Amino acid sequence: MQPPTHTLQPIERQPWSPIGLRALFAKEVRRFAKVWLQTVFSPLITTSLYFLVFGVALGTRMGEIHGVPYIRFVIPGLMMLAMISNAFLNCSSSLFQSRINGTITDILVSPLGTAELLGAFVGAGVLRGLIVGSLVWLVAAFFVSPDIHHAGWMLYFSVTVCLSFAMLGLAVACLAQKYDHLAIVPSFVLTPMTFLGGVFYSIDMLPEPWRSVSLANPMLYMVNGLRYGLVGSSDVPILTAALAVLLLVTASTTAAAWLLARGRNLRT
Amino acid sequence: MPPDPTPALSLRGLTKEFGTFRAVDKVDLDIPAGEIFALLGPNGAGKTTLISCITGLSRPTGGTAHVFGHDTRHDFRTTRRLIGLVPQEIAFDPFFTPHESLLIQMGLMGVKPDPDHADELLRRIALDHKRDAYTRNLSGGMKRRLLVAKALVHRPRILFLDEPTAGVDVELRRDLWGEVRRLRDAGTTIILTTHYLEEAEELADRIGVIRDGRLILVEKKRSLMERLGRCSVRLRPETTAPALDSLPFPAAELEDGQIEATWSTPDDLQRILQQAAQHFPIASIEVLQARLEDIFVSLVGHNAPQDRD
Ligand SMILES: Nc1ncnc2c1ncn2[C@@H]1O[C@H](COP(=O)(O)OP(=O)(O)O)[C@@H](O)[C@H]1O
Ligand SMILES: [Mg+2]
Repeated sequence: MQPPTHTLQPIERQPWSPIGLRALFAKEVRRFAKVWLQTVFSPLITTSLYFLVFGVALGTRMGEIHGVPYIRFVIPGLMMLAMISNAFLNCSSSLFQSRINGTITDILVSPLGTAELLGAFVGAGVLRGLIVGSLVWLVAAFFVSPDIHHAGWMLYFSVTVCLSFAMLGLAVACLAQKYDHLAIVPSFVLTPMTFLGGVFYSIDMLPEPWRSVSLANPMLYMVNGLRYGLVGSSDVPILTAALAVLLLVTASTTAAAWLLARGRNLRT
Repeated sequence: MPPDPTPALSLRGLTKEFGTFRAVDKVDLDIPAGEIFALLGPNGAGKTTLISCITGLSRPTGGTAHVFGHDTRHDFRTTRRLIGLVPQEIAFDPFFTPHESLLIQMGLMGVKPDPDHADELLRRIALDHKRDAYTRNLSGGMKRRLLVAKALVHRPRILFLDEPTAGVDVELRRDLWGEVRRLRDAGTTIILTTHYLEEAEELADRIGVIRDGRLILVEKKRSLMERLGRCSVRLRPETTAPALDSLPFPAAELEDGQIEATWSTPDDLQRILQQAAQHFPIASIEVLQARLEDIFVSLVGHNAPQDRD
């Protein structure tokens, strides 16, 4: 006899379960933690190289921008690049892979609703973004003495940006039909927009009309918002930047929630 | 204790369309708690799609499904806690070991992860020696057993098995059948789809036949076999065959000299054997039982088993 197995699940109405949310979040975190060399360490190497080349080697010839030494000027942009791509990649690859290899079944048969799925996946993506972002900052602090101008804004922009791109990662994973589709967004949208969003320069250095065109790039507000938090300099008013990013959070959350709930590619 | 009047599963007009194609067509079905129900049908009949519409893998486009009285759409949190699914396709996260997979699945199903329960499940499927192995290094049979354990982590009241023994060896098939019976004895309602008619014959209380998305027949296995099964007995006379019209039961003589008679109940068979023994000395007896397979072929019009081994 095996008495414990003979007690069946009670038949009673179930509310949403924090246990399930926690379990999925923990599973997603373990997923990237188990391969930390690839998920956390490798982006760290990449950004350290950027930092060495653009900050240390070329930076000495660049002088100051808005009274900030160039090497300090690029730190927020590099952190932003790392956070965006890691938050995005964690969500997009995890959900897409589980769709492709069929392990998504485990989630689809579970009592987790759209909100819990969103919370767990995005929570893990944000965590990975923040971990890698912090590591980039630590590397920077190793080269130049660290300094934080306004911790509140720094946190605000770090979290909202990771949140937006984790959401976008989920949305793309819902829509993608093959692996190629996953790569399209980072290489054709995210990276160009981030570079053009003033990671390595101030838009005040651009001639018109490019300066005005740049104002339509959401990345500009993120990079400058974080730059304000870290070194106190920004090409745009900080409240405008904060509002722009909040808009992006709202839009990306709506898209991800809608796609996850409708989920043509998830639940056939 | 009076039997629970609420069916474990109740489908009304359940329909699933892919574009204009109807994979599941207005299925009505009630399954009482504690039953083993076998869903038979040729490949592409809609078995997997029907199960998917109940378990949450697929969204029905029409009709309703209730699990112990709870709507699977509006009250999915309740129904999914009551359902376990052993899917047709094997899929595992290569990142986790069998023990970890079970613990994670407990959490996802909303029950507190219990390492002892995970160990006990591994013992039951004889996989405790692979507790901490990489899942990708398990054999196909081990993976399938782990799939069964994963479906049981939250002690479901209804277990769906979608072709659980497709492509597994005879020994494992016997093990799984044993496990299915144990689960039923513990009160679990079991719904299985299968290619192997032998499996339905062996396990099922009731049988449903699905073709082109339509449930064309639902009947107790016993009555189905009695109604449609043709059983016969072949008797080889010791010397020459007796005259057929001298026998007290209808019979025919085969080319090789054997006498063949049909029977439907064991009593029938016994009477025929006794009467035959009084009329001629019998050298050998061959009893041919109705096979569900023959019934199935007559219903569906073509062979169901695709990959028998
Ligand atoms: N996602 C899908 N899109 C379109 N057609 C599908 C899809 N899934 C299943 N079908 C079709 O529905 C029918 C039933 O399939 P299925 O339920 O897998 O059959 P069975 O499990 O009985 O072999 C098949 O014709 C199949 O091609
Ligand atoms: Mg199938």
